[in-house]
Amino acid sequence: MKIIVCVKQVPDAKDVRLDPKTNTLAREGVQSIMNPYDQYALEEAVLLKEQLGGEVTVLSMGPPQAVDVLRQAISLGADHGVLVSDRAFAGADTWATSYTLAKAIHKIGDFDLILCGKQAIDGDTAQVGPGLAIQLDIPFVTCIQKVREASESELVLERMMDDGYDVVAVSLPVLLTVVKDLNIPRIPSLKGKMKAKKAEFKILSAEDIGADSACIGLAGSPTQVVSVFPPPPRGERAVLTGTVEEQIEQLVEKIAVYL
Amino acid sequence: MLIVDSELCIGCGVCEESCAFGAIEVIDGCAVVGDACTLCGACVENCEVEALQIEGAEKSVQADLDSWRGVWVYCEFRAGTLAPVSLELLGAGRKLADARGVHLSAVLIGAGTGDTAQRLIGHGADIVYQVDDPALAYFTDEAYGAVLIDLIKKHKPEIVLAGATAIGRSFIPGVANSLGAGLTADCTHLDIRLDDGALLQTRPAFGGNIMATIVCLSSRPQMSTVRPKVMQAMEFDAARQGKIVNVTPDPVLLQTKVRVLESVVFEQDDVNIQESDILVAGGRGMDNAKGFELIRELADSIDAAVAASRAVVDAGWIGYPHQVGQTGKTVAPKLYIACGISGAIQHVAGMQSSETIVAINRDENAPIFDVADFGIVGDMYKIIPMLISKIEGHRKS
Ligand SMILES: Cc1cc2nc3c(=O)[nH]c(=O)nc-3n(C[C@H](O)[C@H](O)[C@H](O)COP(=O)(O)OP(=O)(O)OC[C@H]3O[C@@H](n4cnc5c(N)ncnc54)[C@H](O)[C@@H]3O)c2cc1C
Ligand SMILES: Cc1cc2nc3c(=O)[nH]c(=O)nc-3n(C[C@H](O)[C@H](O)[C@H](O)COP(=O)(O)OP(=O)(O)OC[C@H]3O[C@@H](n4cnc5c(N)ncnc54)[C@H](O)[C@@H]3O)c2cc1C
Repeated sequence: MKIIVCVKQVPDAKDVRLDPKTNTLAREGVQSIMNPYDQYALEEAVLLKEQLGGEVTVLSMGPPQAVDVLRQAISLGADHGVLVSDRAFAGADTWATSYTLAKAIHKIGDFDLILCGKQAIDGDTAQVGPGLAIQLDIPFVTCIQKVREASESELVLERMMDDGYDVVAVSLPVLLTVVKDLNIPRIPSLKGKMKAKKAEFKILSAEDIGADSACIGLAGSPTQVVSVFPPPPRGERAVLTGTVEEQIEQLVEKIAVYL
Repeated sequence: MLIVDSELCIGCGVCEESCAFGAIEVIDGCAVVGDACTLCGACVENCEVEALQIEGAEKSVQADLDSWRGVWVYCEFRAGTLAPVSLELLGAGRKLADARGVHLSAVLIGAGTGDTAQRLIGHGADIVYQVDDPALAYFTDEAYGAVLIDLIKKHKPEIVLAGATAIGRSFIPGVANSLGAGLTADCTHLDIRLDDGALLQTRPAFGGNIMATIVCLSSRPQMSTVRPKVMQAMEFDAARQGKIVNVTPDPVLLQTKVRVLESVVFEQDDVNIQESDILVAGGRGMDNAKGFELIRELADSIDAAVAASRAVVDAGWIGYPHQVGQTGKTVAPKLYIACGISGAIQHVAGMQSSETIVAINRDENAPIFDVADFGIVGDMYKIIPMLISKIEGHRKS
């Protein structure tokens, strides 16, 4: 089975703090990590490869240093990594991102299965997976919590819903987005780490993937961010005083409107 | 891309201060742009010497923008039930439609919808496109998407809203992508710019650490998914008049490659924590599954749903659908009571937009107190039973 996993490099949430003085995201000491949901997508790809044979390619769009997440993916069992990187992609919204990833996938070649995370923890939209499936003209199923059965031709899956879950069957090729419940990602093995160290990655530009300049970056993005501002500040924490019992009494009064 | 004219740049640093993403920095007296740049243009606007410029291919503008008219709301109907967010969106949509002087239409897709269309009219819709077909009994991205795309192409609405629910966040991105339309995710505020009819869509990103306002100027429809619980539904008015349009979908649209074998709806009704007004959330401080029962008791006593930190979900005390945070759900109830939760950033990302936050923790330095409106420092095993009895006392009085 030929599997492509889309992985995004994102700033680690524990470093993402809004500087209250400047109202900007802190830039110092911000570590980049593989988007948490993508780790479950990668693990599932490797599990399927172990079960059914085949190969796993990881694909990322981002700045040159995004090869770090590709390298990490190799240590976790991926076979190949491809980075699409070009200043021309800057400012891409989810439409332009989906278009660019689709073009890169056409360049990579055949596939049976595409896996994405449910959403990236920075942009937070959960729109790239479905968009990419449309661009590739294949069906998609989002929020997969379990792979019940897998064969070369068909998958039986559980998709998480707000009030329960649906069990669906779909033949390949298909694109899936995954949630955390799916599996427990492995720790890199020593062999994996060695492989990752030596791994080389294909880096593709806009021209390499044959992208139309009107469909990438800012020009290819139907949405446009016009302003960015901090969330409304939370009020000061009200101080409850006295014994614990007295505090609880005050609390009940304060929250009485909701009860 | 963002170009710095080094001749004009005076290295004043205004751009650095105006960039929310920390993507521009003055080095040796001249601004340098980094990879975190999102081309939002804040620096360009703020630069007093016009040293910054965004360059790139021109965005092409769809030719027939003005022929798209009307505000639409996709009204989610699953397993015989209308999602509450649908009525909230009709409330929001009504205001937008009135501001634009256009009709508000609802799109109802499903099977056995009964008198739902009439309800939608009572809550503000002028027109309901009712697509009721046994083949639509189960949600699939393909059929629901194809039906909605077909209707949008025929009637050309300028705005399409949908709930940011599991269903909305799944198939609406596919619809928008097919149409080449811009889609803003998880909006918490919507407004109309009167001079050009642009929909100003405001949403949180970066785990709620930043808000962004987004527009789609060059294409139609302008699409958004909107979080449950942030918009206000209108009171039902049985006297409201509206038109129900029955739509018979072309069978081709109903063909799907994905087959739904079974649809499991959990019996307890508190699984959908995003729709709950009050959440009682438990963390690792509850020690064990039995301790966690106390959380349920508190929740029951105030008709709240139960939420949890990831630590608790990973320990298996409660299912993943109850997890709040970066790798779980984002919630914004009126009241969030966090018990024995330390307040790790990944947890806070999922609940910091709650209206009122109460924290109970024995560690007075726990970061959860930083986001709390009310905090009590102490042992939960003592506090929660007291809280339950005080609440009961309060209710009786
Ligand atoms: C503040 C802010 C708000 C924004 N709001 C919107 C908006 O409302 N609508 C919109 O269209 N755009 C928006 N954008 C732009 C959006 O963040 C980018 O298009 C981004 O490249 C992809 O969106 P995401 O991060 O939300 O990814 P998601 O759609 O949440 O990602 C889902 C999955 O897709 C895959 N994926 C995503 N990006 C990549 C990548 N670069 N390489 C490989 N795989 C990837 C991963 O598997 C990931 O888990 C916003 C940007 C900012 C800065
Ligand atoms: C990539 C990534 C994604 C993540 N996503 C999420 C997510 O979506 N949601 C999430 O919640 N976490 C997430 N986490 C985990 C997060 O970092 C924390 O580990 C987790 O939230 C801790 O859960 P907790 O607060 O229940 O436990 P702890 O941090 O162990 O806190 C327990 C608290 O209980 C208090 N306590 C103990 N006993 C008592 C008592 N008797 N009375 C009162 N207080 C008591 C303690 O003082 C302590 O503050 C993620 C982590 C990573 C790395």
